[in-house]
Amino acid sequence: MRQRKKIDTRRLTRLALLTAAALIIFVIELQIPNPVPIPGIKLGLANIITVYAVYHFKPAEVVMLLLVRIFFGSVYGGNVSAMIFSLSGGLLCLAGMLLLKRMIDEDHIWLASVFGAVLHNLGQTVAAVFVMKTLAVMGYLPFLIFAGCIAGAFTGFSAQLIIRRLPKEK
Amino acid sequence: MTAESKAKKQRAALIAAAVLFIVSAVWCGYLLFRQSGRQVEIISDGRVLYTLDLDREADREITVEYEGRKNVIAIEDHDIFMKEAECPDHTCIKTGRLGSAGVPIVCLPNKLMIRFKAGTDSAENGGVDAAA
Repeated sequence: MRQRKKIDTRRLTRLALLTAAALIIFVIELQIPNPVPIPGIKLGLANIITVYAVYHFKPAEVVMLLLVRIFFGSVYGGNVSAMIFSLSGGLLCLAGMLLLKRMIDEDHIWLASVFGAVLHNLGQTVAAVFVMKTLAVMGYLPFLIFAGCIAGAFTGFSAQLIIRRLPKEK
Repeated sequence: MTAESKAKKQRAALIAAAVLFIVSAVWCGYLLFRQSGRQVEIISDGRVLYTLDLDREADREITVEYEGRKNVIAIEDHDIFMKEAECPDHTCIKTGRLGSAGVPIVCLPNKLMIRFKAGTDSAENGGVDAAA
């Protein structure tokens, strides 16, 4: 790599490709009926891309990927009012995972993903408290933490399976 | 960072995740099986619109509007549930009948919530007595 300030075309292309892949996964997941009748619980398969990106791109690049994913995801999903939950959850998750990356190596990405998912659901719940103007929505928190552990482990293991099959980059 | 300290930190993270999982599972179980009272609140945009005693309520429907979008809440056989909702996800309808104190019916898009009133269920009263 040459200058650090310029983002090189190769990197930008890979980032765009990943964003597109994340969006495709997101839209496909929307078609799968959600069996859980609790707001905010889903598998979050698009986060396979997010956890991969956390370990392979710079923080600013991952933030870009996530923001674009969330924006277009909300628009395609036809539920723009839900964007506030995705944003608060996604950004808290990302902040946590960028810190955890120093502690947890790529071979244990599923573990980082579990914490990411739990943080995501925590951020979501905090946003819901402000939107609903009542603390009562915190009643869902244990369910969201429990579901986050499962969904996070699942997407994390999926990401690990994919990373193992990818050709090593630089 | 040495390899050994990294492995140690990783093990700590693994234990933390396991604890999180088990604690949340137990907490969920507690919320699901806790006995609840029969006082129900319907809260719209942070304001309590109705307080109902399910034991005394006859079958009826309540319509709540938020920014022009309607939610129809139904009471049947002393149970309360969301019958209709003008929102994209219909999560609140899928929640079904309000069953346990820990799981309120929430319609996030229309900022509507149905829950058992705090402090009316036996578990919480017991908690207050113990503290006093």
